[in-house]
Amino acid sequence: MRRQTEPATRSSYAPAPGHRFNVGDRVRIRQAFPPGHRRTPYYIRGKRGVIERICGAFPNPEELAYGFDGEPAKVLYRVRFLQGHVWPGYRGPAHDVIEMEIYEHWLEPDGDKP
Amino acid sequence: MSDEAINKGPHDIGGEPAGPVDTTDHGMRFWEKQANALRSVLSRSGVVKVDELRRAAEGLGDEYRKLAYFEVTTSALRTLMLEKGYFTEAELSARMAEIRRRFDVPDEMESPVKQKAKR
Repeated sequence: MRRQTEPATRSSYAPAPGHRFNVGDRVRIRQAFPPGHRRTPYYIRGKRGVIERICGAFPNPEELAYGFDGEPAKVLYRVRFLQGHVWPGYRGPAHDVIEMEIYEHWLEPDGDKP
Repeated sequence: MSDEAINKGPHDIGGEPAGPVDTTDHGMRFWEKQANALRSVLSRSGVVKVDELRRAAEGLGDEYRKLAYFEVTTSALRTLMLEKGYFTEAELSARMAEIRRRFDVPDEMESPVKQKAKR
């Protein structure tokens, strides 16, 4: 199977000026459990990953959900995690990954290796 | 009970045992097409936002997993229309009663086209 490392076409995502993280940065997902409409699944909170790409900046869905305009826009990243790190007892190949798109306010810098 | 358990929405099931998965294509019933079209029109015209619909659906709590997909989305739409003041609970009930009489529907949960649209 062909391994695709670059997207075949140019990204149509919105630009994200002032982004806090760059591709390759190690991040940890905030281990927070606030009530309300949240766009970060429970199982990924507290996990460590690497920024795979900057998707763009978008109105904050966690604000849009309550009738606000979602401004200022939040930067959205695609974050890559090792499956074996996310799921205890994972039995697939060690290099298996899961990628998830997560907003900047859910990310914090992480110096440690995932 | 920790915050973790309390604030986890009924939709957030990643990593939980799934049980058997029904992969049958059920198609759409008549009312589901009608309700979905209404939701689509109201979304496109900016009356409701998809994030609001999701929030309202998640607000169903335990009901969320008991209801079928279009029941969840239609319930969420109802919640938002009431919330935004497009109609009141009383107006909705009155209108539903009026339409039910028009079609002579005996059971509250039965659709007038249910026989035809049966899966």
